[in-house]
Amino acid sequence: MIVNSLQFFLFFVVVFTIYYLPIYRNTPKFQNLWLFLTSYFFYGFADWRMAPLLLGATIAFYFIGLWLKSEMEKGQTKNASMITTLGVVLGVGVLVYFKYMNFFADSFAQLLKAIGLNVSWTTLNIVLPIGVSFFTFKLISYIIEVHREHIQPSKDFIEFGTYVAFFPTILSGPIDRPNKFIPQLQGVRQFNYDMAADGCRQVLWGMFTKMCIADNLAPFTDRVWANIDGYSSATLILTSFYYSVQLYADFDGYSNMAIGVAKILNLQVERNFNHPFLARNIAEYWRNWHISLTSWLTDYVFAPLNIAFRYMNNLGIILAIVINFVLIGLWHGADWTFAFFGLYHGLLYIPLILSGSFAKKKKLRPNKIGIPNMKDFSYMLVTFLLVSIGLILFRAESFPQAGEYLSSILKCNDMFNASMLEGKRYIWPVILILGLEWLQRDKQHALQFPSNKLFNCAAVRYLVYAVLVSALFIYAGEVQTFIYFQF
Amino acid sequence: MEREEIFSKLNEIFEDVLDLEEGANLTDSTTANDIEEWDSLSHIQLIVAIEKAFKIKFTSLEIMKWANVGEMVDSMESKLN
Repeated sequence: MIVNSLQFFLFFVVVFTIYYLPIYRNTPKFQNLWLFLTSYFFYGFADWRMAPLLLGATIAFYFIGLWLKSEMEKGQTKNASMITTLGVVLGVGVLVYFKYMNFFADSFAQLLKAIGLNVSWTTLNIVLPIGVSFFTFKLISYIIEVHREHIQPSKDFIEFGTYVAFFPTILSGPIDRPNKFIPQLQGVRQFNYDMAADGCRQVLWGMFTKMCIADNLAPFTDRVWANIDGYSSATLILTSFYYSVQLYADFDGYSNMAIGVAKILNLQVERNFNHPFLARNIAEYWRNWHISLTSWLTDYVFAPLNIAFRYMNNLGIILAIVINFVLIGLWHGADWTFAFFGLYHGLLYIPLILSGSFAKKKKLRPNKIGIPNMKDFSYMLVTFLLVSIGLILFRAESFPQAGEYLSSILKCNDMFNASMLEGKRYIWPVILILGLEWLQRDKQHALQFPSNKLFNCAAVRYLVYAVLVSALFIYAGEVQTFIYFQF
Repeated sequence: MEREEIFSKLNEIFEDVLDLEEGANLTDSTTANDIEEWDSLSHIQLIVAIEKAFKIKFTSLEIMKWANVGEMVDSMESKLN
């Protein structure tokens, strides 16, 4: 049941109606129980075989949290550290077993083959539970935050279970943090018109970018990737730019829908994107791309490593960054292409670390006519180019395929032959999206209108909604599953 | 060592490491959000400078727990006294 489907709409109408029935005046318990049950229904609908795994992991972490707290209260710091380690190992273990076991078995068999030993075990056929990369990260952060004394463990199982399984975010994030999400479940949520209206606009914008931008670009980029040899170098370059925009429109679109649906239920979830293509260097890009994942890794991997390596100066930072990014790469899937995708980004940080500028945040300053100044703009272009090159590794199914793509670009076949350039018709929609990113750079999504004469007029706003809704019917591409569902 | 003494020494370290011209003016409730130059990179430099100046060593967990300068000074006090 994907969010942009009639099925989901009907499901959500039922959830919404009962969620706001006025029977919960004094206690959030029933509202949470309803969210808990509907979240499991939603998850079970996607893959009912995996619901027991989600429930089992939730029960285990619920008790680990309480046990950890009781040891901390007794002053047993060693035991507390051991329990935290147990929680982290359990969370990582579930992830590794389901996501990486096949990969390890295959890589090991290949290694043995390379040294002349032939093993003949059949590939382990472990089914990947949907959303496992997202909910295990929520569980791990919960245990670490309890240990760091940033939160109290949840005593209410339904409240905790709702945090883990919350249906708008269970399949593909954003990865919520317990210290921000659980407190919201501790009070009754009343219908908040402004927040719900903003949520509806965010869902509409998400549907537009997913269905009209990403789903239209996908068949084109797929076609090119399926027959790399058959296209000119210029087409391959253009396609790699398109894929960057497609991936963004797809995942940002999904995230906007998830965040918007949560807002209608008066719940704030983590932001996932903050105009990443306006970034002027790789560090800025990663601060604004898949934020709920990168900030998770910053807090639980990069920061502890950076602290542990603190006497090694720049070398320590470089090591921490490279390890962090290889893990970010591998999080996307068990494949060497993802590991190298991460390594590539980690290495791009080195000049920034050595110049001491990687953590600096500089505001964008437009020039007199409101567009980016030349210096910022050229840095944005270079960053976009570097990101697009990295995404060739990300999109490729194997190293040879990535190599073929890059070498076909370098061959410069029909590089300047405009008649051989394909996909030209997508240029304007892509420029439109990137232009809107700039104009709405201070807003969470494109439909948070600026306060000026034009947009204060209700007719103008409704016209925009009407145009977008019509576009969903007229220009929606062939339905594609969300790219991030596979992770 | 008195808390006030720790604060005055800390102010000097912050001003030196972060290159602050107008003074750090640290209080118990100061966080990284209050000082623009205090980012994740300079945070590590600050910790190393503090450890050197006060001849103490923090554990990773201690560092991770701090929510503001006051909590950092609490840890320092417990080591210095």
